[in-house]
Amino acid sequence: MLQLCNLTRAYELGGERAGVFGVSLAVPKGCLAVLAGPSGSGKTTLLQLAGLLDTPDEGEVRLGGELVSSLPEKARCDLRLRRLGFVFQAFNLVPVLTALENVMLPLQLQGVTEAEARPRAEAALDRVGLADRRHHRPGQLSGGQQQRAAIARALAPDPLLVLADEPTASLDHAHGGPLLDLMAELAAERGATFLVASHDPAVIARAHRVFRLMDGMLVGEERP
Amino acid sequence: MILARLALRNLLRQRRRTALTLMVVVAGFLALSLAGGFMAQTFQGLSDAAIRGGLGHLQVLPPGAAEGDEAQSLEKSLPDGEALAARLRTDPAVAEVLPRIQFMGLLSSGAKSVAFLGTAVDPVLEPKHMATTEALTGGARAAGGAGSRWLSPDPSLREVILGTGLARALGASVGSSLTLMSTTKDGALNAVDVDVVGLQDLGLRELNDRFLTVSLATASQLLDAGPARSRLSVVLRRPGDTAAEQARIQALLAETSVKPWFELASFYRQVKLLYFAIFGFMGLVLFLVVLLATANTLLMSVMERVREFGVLRAMGLQPGQLLRLLQWEGAFLGLLGSALGLAVTLLLRAGLNALHLQMPAPPGTSHGYELNIHFVPLVYAIVAAGLQATIQVSALFPGLKAARLRIVEALRHV
Repeated sequence: MLQLCNLTRAYELGGERAGVFGVSLAVPKGCLAVLAGPSGSGKTTLLQLAGLLDTPDEGEVRLGGELVSSLPEKARCDLRLRRLGFVFQAFNLVPVLTALENVMLPLQLQGVTEAEARPRAEAALDRVGLADRRHHRPGQLSGGQQQRAAIARALAPDPLLVLADEPTASLDHAHGGPLLDLMAELAAERGATFLVASHDPAVIARAHRVFRLMDGMLVGEERP
Repeated sequence: MILARLALRNLLRQRRRTALTLMVVVAGFLALSLAGGFMAQTFQGLSDAAIRGGLGHLQVLPPGAAEGDEAQSLEKSLPDGEALAARLRTDPAVAEVLPRIQFMGLLSSGAKSVAFLGTAVDPVLEPKHMATTEALTGGARAAGGAGSRWLSPDPSLREVILGTGLARALGASVGSSLTLMSTTKDGALNAVDVDVVGLQDLGLRELNDRFLTVSLATASQLLDAGPARSRLSVVLRRPGDTAAEQARIQALLAETSVKPWFELASFYRQVKLLYFAIFGFMGLVLFLVVLLATANTLLMSVMERVREFGVLRAMGLQPGQLLRLLQWEGAFLGLLGSALGLAVTLLLRAGLNALHLQMPAPPGTSHGYELNIHFVPLVYAIVAAGLQATIQVSALFPGLKAARLRIVEALRHV
């Protein structure tokens, strides 16, 4: 599903060279894969390269066998809209929209009509257990509820790949655990592929595949 | 439509800031619309004064008579002006034709003589189409003006109506007998005794000091004019067609010069140019204020939403769509601001007009006028369109800033 080939992206951070250097990995379809490593190991950078949010200095990103890292910005936008989903550490729901409207947003941006998008978004919210909170705005939801809404938003358009950056970092253990179970269930249920950047042992414990990073380089791959 | 909904919600997110920006737009709309209504009143007043002051909608003149002193004599005239007037009266577009003789000479009272500018008019037709009665009302209030009346339709009577300043200079009043002296068409000196039947206040001091009105019969006798007339004032049935009718009638009367009133009313044209310059500058300043205020609001809004824009871009929103989002926000600000501005304008206009405020006399004129700000939908539409365009331009810079954000940096933004 996702292949990163010899990926390098370097930048200066506090006067030091940081980023990822020559990373190659492959994530099969339906897999819950985790990029693990301490802070500054390059997890987020690699996730952003895989999600076409940034351009590598060297190397390639392939999605479903197609080379996508060298596509022009418009095509990358389109790909992100139709094939990728994102879950962020800080949830990043649009604060002026309700949970339902947030989930409908990527569908409507794709050009799906409101009448069509609404039942799909309601089903996604129902699946993450937020059916009764659909008309609440993010400010009226708890952290766990916001992150579940963010997962529903990422999954509603049926993406090939969901990229999650530290999805449990802003949640306590009581909320993080069920969220991870939900992601694992959805990966199995929908055949969606998840690539999660995290140093949370609870996340790593639920992963199908773990890629360990250190100082921007891939230092190990595990299949628990 | 999702971008429009998002834009509207974003404006509602910072209600106080949005309200302040709307107030600027409303103030701009209000100032420009009230100024437009005031200008419309002024232009209407001046055009009425010019048309009903004697010009009519069109003037038929002998060629070249509009320039130089010849305008005040029969040296250049329409040789058979009465026949020409009769011919024009049969034209379906013409409501009436008022022949006039303009002349000058000396007006004497005993040993005192004062130069005058005279106009001879048809005493029956003139009050029907021109503002003669209003000028008489003003004159009646002047010293010696009591009992002022219009000229008698009887062609055998020799009567005169004097400007208030001219009457004062001669010590004349209603009932006085004076002598009019001028040269005939052939250059001979002639005189006619006339009775003062009224005083008139024409609104301009210089005119009041020199101007008098007599009947065509009196002027014909004095000037030996026969059927010759200095000019014809043409009143059209449809004043809005003045420009088109001028071209048509000019083609019909090739041997004359046909001029529309607005070419001859130099005071009207000068005031119009002056007002356009003053209010144009004011408009420019107001548009600039609106531009800066809305640009500031939208820019602040962009700076507060950097991370949100990063998320939207990560989700696949194109840079152009972010630009459109900001344009929508500008569009709502403009539409709402103009709608509120229109409501406030109409309320304030009604309130100001109800107060019957008296405006001071404009420079060079002898009396003031009542403020009556006109209702001018075209001005409101132009102001709204101008403000909308200004706001859309002001949304460009914040929109471009948002569109150029690097996604990874926007996502890191705190």
